[in-house]
Amino acid sequence: MTTVKATDDRPTPQPRTRSRGQVPPLPQLGAYLLIGLGAVLTVAPFYFMFVFATHTRTDIFQLPPPTWFGGNLGENYTHLMERMPFWRNLWNSLYLAVLTTAATLFFCTLAGYAFAMYTFKGREVLFGLVLATLLIPSTLNIVPFALIMQALGWIDQPRALWVPGMASAFGIFLMRQYIGSSIPRELVEAARIDGATEFGIFRRIIVPLTGPAMATLGLVTFVQSWNSFLGPLIIFRSGETYTAPLALRTLQSVANTDWGALMCGVALTVVPLLILFALASRQLIEGLTAGATKG
Amino acid sequence: MLARSTSARRGGWSGFQRRYAPYIFISPFFILFLVFGLFPILFNAYLSFQQWQPGTGLGAMKFVGLRNYTDNLTDPTFWQSLKNTAVLAVLSGLPQHLIAIPVAFAVAGVLRRMQHLVTAVYFLPYITSIVAISVIFFTLFSWQYGVINAALSALHHLPLIGGLFPADRINWLGEKAYVQPAIALVVIWRYTGWNMLLYLSGLQAIPKELYEAAAVDGATGWQSFRFITLPLLRPIMFVAVTLSLIGGLQLFEEPFILTNGTGGAGQAGLTTIMYMYRTYTSYSDAGVAAAMSWLLFVVIGALTLLNNRLFGRSGLAGRD
Amino acid sequence: MRTMLSLTLALTASTLGMAAAQTKTITVSVFPDLDSVVKAALPGFKKLYPNINVKINSLAYADHHTALTTALSTGKGAGDVVAVDFGYIAKFAEGNGLVDLSKAPYNAGQYRPQFVAYTFPQATAPDGRMIAMPTDIGPGSMFYRSDMLKRAGVRATDLNRSWESYIAAGRKVVAANPGSFLIPDAGEAAQIILRTGLGAGEGLYFDRSGKVLVGPDNPRYVRAFTVAKQIRDAKLDARAGAAFSPDWTTAFQKGNLATEFSGAWLVGHMQNWLAKDYSGKWAAQNLPGNTYASWGGSFYAIPQQSQNKAEAWALIKYLTTNPAQQVLAFKTTGAFPALRAAAGDPIFNEGVPYLGGQKARIQWRQAALKIQPLDVNRLDPVAEQIVNDALNTVLDGSKDIRTALTEAQLLITRRAR
Repeated sequence: MTTVKATDDRPTPQPRTRSRGQVPPLPQLGAYLLIGLGAVLTVAPFYFMFVFATHTRTDIFQLPPPTWFGGNLGENYTHLMERMPFWRNLWNSLYLAVLTTAATLFFCTLAGYAFAMYTFKGREVLFGLVLATLLIPSTLNIVPFALIMQALGWIDQPRALWVPGMASAFGIFLMRQYIGSSIPRELVEAARIDGATEFGIFRRIIVPLTGPAMATLGLVTFVQSWNSFLGPLIIFRSGETYTAPLALRTLQSVANTDWGALMCGVALTVVPLLILFALASRQLIEGLTAGATKG
Repeated sequence: MLARSTSARRGGWSGFQRRYAPYIFISPFFILFLVFGLFPILFNAYLSFQQWQPGTGLGAMKFVGLRNYTDNLTDPTFWQSLKNTAVLAVLSGLPQHLIAIPVAFAVAGVLRRMQHLVTAVYFLPYITSIVAISVIFFTLFSWQYGVINAALSALHHLPLIGGLFPADRINWLGEKAYVQPAIALVVIWRYTGWNMLLYLSGLQAIPKELYEAAAVDGATGWQSFRFITLPLLRPIMFVAVTLSLIGGLQLFEEPFILTNGTGGAGQAGLTTIMYMYRTYTSYSDAGVAAAMSWLLFVVIGALTLLNNRLFGRSGLAGRD
Repeated sequence: MRTMLSLTLALTASTLGMAAAQTKTITVSVFPDLDSVVKAALPGFKKLYPNINVKINSLAYADHHTALTTALSTGKGAGDVVAVDFGYIAKFAEGNGLVDLSKAPYNAGQYRPQFVAYTFPQATAPDGRMIAMPTDIGPGSMFYRSDMLKRAGVRATDLNRSWESYIAAGRKVVAANPGSFLIPDAGEAAQIILRTGLGAGEGLYFDRSGKVLVGPDNPRYVRAFTVAKQIRDAKLDARAGAAFSPDWTTAFQKGNLATEFSGAWLVGHMQNWLAKDYSGKWAAQNLPGNTYASWGGSFYAIPQQSQNKAEAWALIKYLTTNPAQQVLAFKTTGAFPALRAAAGDPIFNEGVPYLGGQKARIQWRQAALKIQPLDVNRLDPVAEQIVNDALNTVLDGSKDIRTALTEAQLLITRRAR
């Protein structure tokens, strides 16, 4: 934290010597334009999602499509509530995502630390194995996955998803890359000489220094769990245990999709992600700045 | 005396725990993997030598030897799906990085207080649900009524530059030549922000002093980008490119939803995973699908290894 | 007859006896809009069976069938009553996952005369097992915009006399109504032609012995592809792809379509949201060329793994063989009854307000009786996919009809073994 302050308050003779000052006016304008254009293109579909949530399905397919908020939000919301216990489904999603994220963060940081900071027999082979699991298309695993969960009696239980979910090869990969490239080994050695246990080093040195990577992994895990579909489809068997995306899909029939209610539900499911992201990205930027000064 | 013995014991414990710590730290992953990961893989391996229609029950499997593999390898649609996958992986993967790196560089260079907000904005597509994405892009891509075609036609009627834009409406999802670009566009839209985030974190980790020193030595902006930024971005580039590669080769959601699962005109949007899913669900040919997943696994593995060789070694070298 | 009756009575008695003993809860797995039908049926059902509680699990159409496949392949997790759509019947008929309803204690065969003729063969596997009970059907109809026809000086009979006259009259309609299209997608014509004029023992893609019928030498296929191509080349279609795609929806809402072929249920959608502003302008006729086809149709089945088969059967019987319930389903979602007695209800003689008071339901009821059962094959989904792809390559001009059909034949033959 102190290092963050140090960067911002570093005495500089003139603002010009800052990296921002180094960019000449024309490229600077170009940079702003690039950022701005990208931002508009990125946000537009997202904006339409909220706009569509306030229109009837007849309006949504008008041409040109509605570009401003309409007056049908209340009715869409009512339809949504008639069709499913939506808040219950949202709670199921939250419960699942929080558990998955917490477990993934802990175990992936631990394993990533082991792969990055230790030299041990079989390291390369074991890491190769971790990576290899990333390459296996999971789409086909529906039947064996269902068989295991039936054998364990975990059908209709969130743990059927978060327990296997925490074994994230991607998470280990990301953490190893980050820890390996940003935490000096000398720091670990020094702590070891001071008599810290291996887990103690992990807890006191590694965890505090992996903030940005954890923010990234945490966010990605949360989002993926939140939006996941195929797993919950196999595990959850009734309207009360459905997660939000699963419940929302029941609005989509071949012929009769109430797009207004669906959009309303989709928009409501995105709100928790937005809140989380607002919180996590602050953490992320602070962590990133801290990383920048360490050099 | 007491202190001494404690410290001696500590030495033994320390050595022990130091030797076994890494194994203990990675064991949760491998235990979970053995239970939840290996079984499905073995099941699929077994299945790839069987003829089985899911829905008929586990007892109905029939051993067919290598037939499922030879069936795939002689199936023109399988080869076409591989080609589609490769084209889509490049078409949707490369631009993500070509856009994300300059944008991340621009954001890191010119923005201070807004950085937080801009990063958040670029990341939005990543957290948007695929359901919303599909509806929105369908409306945008529509042939007769779509916003994209309306915009193109407006541009066509402009003086001077009008000739650059097509006169006729483009049937984005209905004509073979446009299916892949349309899918790529959605993938690029969805994941560029994610890559930008990765690159931004990489950029932030580059010490400012390096740029200041380069500026003192009279380096131009391009030179410092070329000789400081790019080399130091390599480790994170390796992560980002590897993830794009694996994700690109397993592309499923976007083409599946945009083409209603059909692969679109001329099947140009039929990726291998989609074809596998179709073989499994609508064709009910689980054995052939399992064999296909193993063939795809080999292809992805080979390409990832190649990527490692070309890119990873130098990228990871900086680590040790 | 007497034995049948006594069996039924015995079954009913045992069901009731069991129900009296204890309250049971059964689960019904359905997809929308069938969930609304079941929901609407429950009050009436509860009156007859106060001790059976019914829980409805609804999933989106494709997801429902995916989840059902998983449940049947692993032997666990299916509902006690499961809805199966027409297109999936052959697939689920293949295994032993669903109960044979033609056997005791169900003896569904006794209801055969009460149902629209083609539904029972549709629900019967090649080996004679009957795996599901039909509940609704989708008799096909040609909907047309009478105002557009009038502007072009074309009569409805000009459109449906034959496919040639459909195209010829269609050109006039499109010419007289700038910005309009004759049909959402040219492929629809091919699909109808493929479903008509089948020889005995022929299915859509395979004959009863499993021989592939798709090919450049089958006149049915050549004609289907040729007519569709003619429509596309005359620029008569909106190239909207599948029904309910956004392009299709928008074309309807903007009132740009002169005709559409669909099941009778389409009227409900047009009236409620799809083409609200065009009430009284749409009308219905039979399909061109004296052809009769069906759009969709739903069935209910009992999985072998169900622990409550008697209760499940009680519910299925109520949903499918109770005329009042079948009429209620029609009123709820527009699902046309598979039970013939239900179609005799006075409501079917009334005019349809949206179609300008036209007594179209009589026409649909008669059309339903003329629909031929198609022989189904478990590889139908494979063949359907391949034929549709071939049709698309013909329509977009990348292959000629002969080449496309030859290739399709090869691809299907590879899979058929």
